Amino acid sequence: MAVSVAKQGYHLGHHDEHDANHDEVIYRETRDMRLTGFVLFLGTDVVLFSAFIFAYVYLRTSIAPVWPPMVDGHQLPRLDTAFAAVNSVVLFGSGVTMHYALEAWKHALKRRFNLFMALTILLGAGFLGGQAYEYAHARIGGWSGNTFGASFFTLTGMHGLHVFIGVWFLIALWIQTSRGVYDDHRFFGLTAGTLYWHFVDVIWVVLFFLFYLW
Amino acid sequence: MESLAGIEKIVALVGAVVVGVFAVISLKGEWNKTGLDDHVTKLLLGLMAFGCILVLLAAFGILPRGGGA
Amino acid sequence: MATLAPGVQTGPYHAVLDHIHPEPTSFIRKYIFSIDHKIIGIQYMITGAVFFIISGLLAEIIRTQLLTPNGLLVRPDTYNSIYSMHGSSMVWFVVIPLLTGAFGNFVMPLQIGARDVAFPWLNLVAFWIFPVAGVILFSSFLVGAPDAGWTEYPPISLMGPPGTNLWCIAVFMIGISSTMTGINFLVTILKMRAPGMTLTRMPLFVWAQFATTPLSFIATTALGGALAALFIERVFGVPFYDPKRGGSPLLWQHMFWFYSHPAVYIMIIPGFGIISEVLPTFARKPIFGYKMIAFSSVAIALLSFSVWAHHMFTSGMVPWLQLPFMIITMLIAIPTGVKIFSWMATLWGGAIRWKTPALYAAGFIITFTYGGLTGFFLAAVPLDYHEHGTYFVVAHLHYVLYGGSIMSLFAGAYYWWPKMSGRMYNETLGRIQFWMVFIGFNCTFTPLHWLGLLGMPRRVPNYDPSYQFWNVFASVSSYVMALGTLLFFYILVDSFRNGKKAGPNPWGARTLEWMIASPPPYYNFKKIPAVLAAPYDFGNPLPYIGLDAADGAVEATPTHSSHPVPTH
Ligand code: HEM
Ligand SMILES: [Cu+2]
Repeated sequence: MAVSVAKQGYHLGHHDEHDANHDEVIYRETRDMRLTGFVLFLGTDVVLFSAFIFAYVYLRTSIAPVWPPMVDGHQLPRLDTAFAAVNSVVLFGSGVTMHYALEAWKHALKRRFNLFMALTILLGAGFLGGQAYEYAHARIGGWSGNTFGASFFTLTGMHGLHVFIGVWFLIALWIQTSRGVYDDHRFFGLTAGTLYWHFVDVIWVVLFFLFYLW
Repeated sequence: MESLAGIEKIVALVGAVVVGVFAVISLKGEWNKTGLDDHVTKLLLGLMAFGCILVLLAAFGILPRGGGA
Repeated sequence: MATLAPGVQTGPYHAVLDHIHPEPTSFIRKYIFSIDHKIIGIQYMITGAVFFIISGLLAEIIRTQLLTPNGLLVRPDTYNSIYSMHGSSMVWFVVIPLLTGAFGNFVMPLQIGARDVAFPWLNLVAFWIFPVAGVILFSSFLVGAPDAGWTEYPPISLMGPPGTNLWCIAVFMIGISSTMTGINFLVTILKMRAPGMTLTRMPLFVWAQFATTPLSFIATTALGGALAALFIERVFGVPFYDPKRGGSPLLWQHMFWFYSHPAVYIMIIPGFGIISEVLPTFARKPIFGYKMIAFSSVAIALLSFSVWAHHMFTSGMVPWLQLPFMIITMLIAIPTGVKIFSWMATLWGGAIRWKTPALYAAGFIITFTYGGLTGFFLAAVPLDYHEHGTYFVVAHLHYVLYGGSIMSLFAGAYYWWPKMSGRMYNETLGRIQFWMVFIGFNCTFTPLHWLGLLGMPRRVPNYDPSYQFWNVFASVSSYVMALGTLLFFYILVDSFRNGKKAGPNPWGARTLEWMIASPPPYYNFKKIPAVLAAPYDFGNPLPYIGLDAADGAVEATPTHSSHPVPTH
């Protein structure tokens, strides 16, 4: 038994040493906990989207006789796939640039980091612009017209809100970096921001398929 | 309108190839890392690459079935 | 780290675990916006108790209404609001917050040998959402309270009074709060256990909280989606559920029960945990089947995600799906039965000291088993056709929720009260209180089974005169139960005034929370101990080393067990 305790790194009687490592250990453990918590948070967000996705799939497959649904005797048009494809590329592109931004930070390449950060934010904002254009041109009867509009605008609206928050999240992180909050081995905020941004992209993969390709 | 959609499809195609290639390269770079964040990143980058394939399918008109707008 | 209390030591082995926040000095930071898990746990307890009293009063209005066949007290539409609010509040504002927020917060970090939860600030926020959401919920009485039952099925809930919107907001908010707590607890249990405390050395209450966390943050979020959709449909006319506009009421039922069936396990698994602590302590015996109890909680939690449609057998769901849902539902009875078997085996041959917590634990086993059996009847599709929508369902759910969850809450309250307050309660009064609640409860709800089988529908303000006798019987018994509940609060007040000092370990229990002073100091442990084994080996020396225990704590644990185990 003594062995199993020693493996845990427990030393009886060693209590007041505050070696230089202490801060480092605290940082590592705290980061580990925050990261786990953050990933779990993203998991709950997946569930939130899944609830609405379930609603959409259910209404489309089990309730509506035809899809897109009929309104006043006319079938609604499909959405504009080609435009959405371009917009998707914009968003996925921002995911890749974000990844490169984080890599640059890890390697202490400050200028490269700034470049990719700027690109990411621009692309993210571009996606939001595209989304606004899409909303203005989708002829599916608006948010409250029918179940197509309801699921489309609710889901993409939720997603758009996430992108919007993400853009501000990234801007805030960028400001933090310029104020020297992070260094090249303590940058949990950037890791979290990157994960969040990737997550938002991946939600779009699913939505793109469900609304435009299905 | 048709020609606009044609241009869009070409842009999407080129974009998806470029983004997809970089996504896969990034994925390879992450591959041997083992932290929780790295695992999640791998998963998400992989799905993003899959998203690029979806865009390609759209650009080639394979999905949605029946063409779409 | 300059502000450590005298004698408190930290070690280099697990830095975060050892980290101590400086003790807050202002009243506000100490008792109102505290980040100390123990204070937050007590705040949950007080808030939950307030909502418990309010929703209990609503219940007594229901029972009083049903004294006469034509309804004694309130108008039919008011009656609808009253039972809707009673159910909503009991589920989301009493049982769930008390079992997770209150006991989870107070006890779990102590039991794993931690100084706080992983995210103390998140804990603070999660708590404060709770009373705010409760006020929003009850303020719906001012604008017309929701009237479609706690399940708020559309299309009725779409036509319900404006308070239904407040209901959506309040339940959504409390859902956010449980999600935060779930994530917080999971990270705490995964990352902050004392050195040496492997998963299978955790106390069973910790296991129970552990199994509950995924339910809290997965199922609850799904409900959040359903609520958000209901809200935007009501407020902005966005069609999801309205069948006239291409929506589907069944969609709500699927989404609601996908949450609410797991939620019934949020409401019982921590209760299982409490019972699993109380029984070995008062039987002075190692718990029987530690691993079976621990793992069956996880099995129940996972299975609970795949049975939701047993609430929908009569809803016009596709028939071929009924059979699998029926079978999986019945499968859940297996891990549940395993637990009941283990508890009985723990009691078997033990020198049981029938203190109030032990009485409640035994009462729990009886009533919960009964409720599980009626659940089994309900899960059988052909029987459910007859029983659905009747008082039989009401009887079932009260047997599991009152006889299960609330009884376990009482057991836990008596058990940990000395630890929280530092004082003993009056044992005689406690026993009287138990019998009032136990007899009152059974006499209230047993007849409802019969009424249900005879066909008395639930949620109706009046009934056929032939049902009157048992209704009167149930109502009168419910008053006994209510008096018993009031007596409980009197006992607490009395304990504050006249209670003996409890000392660190009044029950001779072996989990870590009993090794430190009562009430525990803000830093919990002077020194984080290392853990060598699960805590239930009564008769063996305590499995902790490096523990700087409070005076008398270790001596209070019995050196003999009523059922000695060989030392390994
Ligand atoms: C052996 C375990 C159980 C089985 C097989 C079971 C089965 C069922 C079934 C089939 C129903 C639906 C009845 C109907 O509406 O026709 C039901 C209702 C219900 N059960 Fe259980 N149950 C079990 C345990 C529990 C537990 C542990 C709880 C809570 C702690 C619980 C809480 C409820 C509630 C609240 C309802 C009523 C929901 C409503 O308002 O319609 N059940 N149960
Ligand atoms: Cu259920």
